[in-house]
Amino acid sequence: MRWLTKLHTLNQRWLYLATAMLLVLPLLVRVPVPSSGASGATRGLYDAIDSCPPGKVVMINSNWDMGSRAECEAQLDCVVRHLCRKRTRFVVTSVGLVFGPMFAEKVIRPIAREHGYRYGRDWVNCGYIQASGGLGVVVDGLCRDFHRVRPADANGTPIAELPLMDRVRTVRDIHMVYCVGYAPEREWISFVNGQHGTPVGFGCMSIMAPEYYTFLDSGQLCGVLVGNRGSSEYEALLGRPGLGSRLIMVASFGNCAILAAAVLGNVGMWAAERKRRQAR
Amino acid sequence: MRKSVVRAITFVAGLFFLLEFLLPAGEGRKPGGPAATQPAAVAAPGGAATAPATAPVRAAAPAEVGAAAKPKKKGNFLTPLLPDVTNFAIVVGAMAFLLGPINLVRNHLATLLRRGKGRVESCAFLACLVLGITVKSFEGSELGARLGMDVLHDALSFGVATAFFASSMALLAFYLVSAAHRALRLNNLEAGLMLVAATIVLLGQVPVGDWLTSGLPGWLQFRSWTQWLLTYPNGGVQRAVLIGASGGAIAASLRHWLGLGTRTE
Repeated sequence: MRWLTKLHTLNQRWLYLATAMLLVLPLLVRVPVPSSGASGATRGLYDAIDSCPPGKVVMINSNWDMGSRAECEAQLDCVVRHLCRKRTRFVVTSVGLVFGPMFAEKVIRPIAREHGYRYGRDWVNCGYIQASGGLGVVVDGLCRDFHRVRPADANGTPIAELPLMDRVRTVRDIHMVYCVGYAPEREWISFVNGQHGTPVGFGCMSIMAPEYYTFLDSGQLCGVLVGNRGSSEYEALLGRPGLGSRLIMVASFGNCAILAAAVLGNVGMWAAERKRRQAR
Repeated sequence: MRKSVVRAITFVAGLFFLLEFLLPAGEGRKPGGPAATQPAAVAAPGGAATAPATAPVRAAAPAEVGAAAKPKKKGNFLTPLLPDVTNFAIVVGAMAFLLGPINLVRNHLATLLRRGKGRVESCAFLACLVLGITVKSFEGSELGARLGMDVLHDALSFGVATAFFASSMALLAFYLVSAAHRALRLNNLEAGLMLVAATIVLLGQVPVGDWLTSGLPGWLQFRSWTQWLLTYPNGGVQRAVLIGASGGAIAASLRHWLGLGTRTE
């Protein structure tokens, strides 16, 4: 019984060591992901992208960097693969995050090359767009006149010289907007969907997802990829397990570590209280 | 006098955006559902998923592209001015953006010159700022390539900055486990409710939860419970918070717009 009381004051370093081991294990050993079908949030985004008519373009706002790479990279990867498989053209922006274009490029370029996509004709990276004037103003500006707000792409090439951008002038030319990042901003919903009626989908970190369920429920968001769970479900819909399917097992082990720590803490607390009562 | 000018500009700009939004719009300005923005004939996506990788990207018929590119009618009489006003706001925002670095430089420079407490940190900040600006200014140019600025830029961006981001976020995993051990204690009913909700959501968001309850009927699985918790109790709370915060934001915006509650001089 004495050892149970020690759980109450367990040295945190043991917890850290156990957590590190639990997180690394599924990366070293391939653990099969139990198949459970896609949630409504994932299915909604998949269907919205799948229903893109010929000639329309999908806009991706990629606002993630190293801090949120663990979840956002797979979310961008699976959606770009879907677009390329469907032969749908896309435009990438990073509104408000300087590092966004670099990370997006690292994910998109190999997939685009693999599918025979040519830069400028089939996809364009418009790069970083500063939003210091207020994100709403910038998003509204992009919706009304894309060329005016962002006259050059990430490499500095005038977008008027890129064939794809000839057909992307306002939000009316865009089938849907997919925003992927730590916590995609609500301005995209307010302006792109609220004012112009263009569908908006999000890909966000798991911890930020509760914020978006209300918009999903109201239909203002067509779908949400929730962390690695969302990307693993999306990959299952594509029939091609990838990064998300591998990382969801890491998240599984991490969540189990949190629950195990809570159980250990409670057991230790009860044991310590019982000992105190017996001592009285 | 200066503040009066700022307040006047704020009022006029606010009035412009408000009127542009509220005044009746023509066809081109009408909000519509997704169906309204799409062509009537939507190609069935059935065979697209199996299209070969080398197939050309589907091109739209010229008429379709033209129809999408040119809205039939402009909105109200203020709409044509909107891009210019929006650009003005972006430019003003960019100017305001400079205020942060300027203030930081002034403060840290003062600390450094006074040899005050934290001068080492101030020195590090100023050195990093100068290095960052220099590297970014030369990056991509011929001179920059000769000076090795491209390599330095990549080293700073992908080597140093991303390593800092990754480390700080990765540490959260350890803090979460540590916090769960110390704080998620079953002391009373409220704590119990939170612990149960946390357990359901944590397990419902990962495949382990599906696996644990795979033998149970659908409505008893962790996944269904998680969905219910996130959609109803969480959704209700989120809406309440959002409505309250939006009301506060409207009040604050009105005060700014009308220049209420601020001293003139």
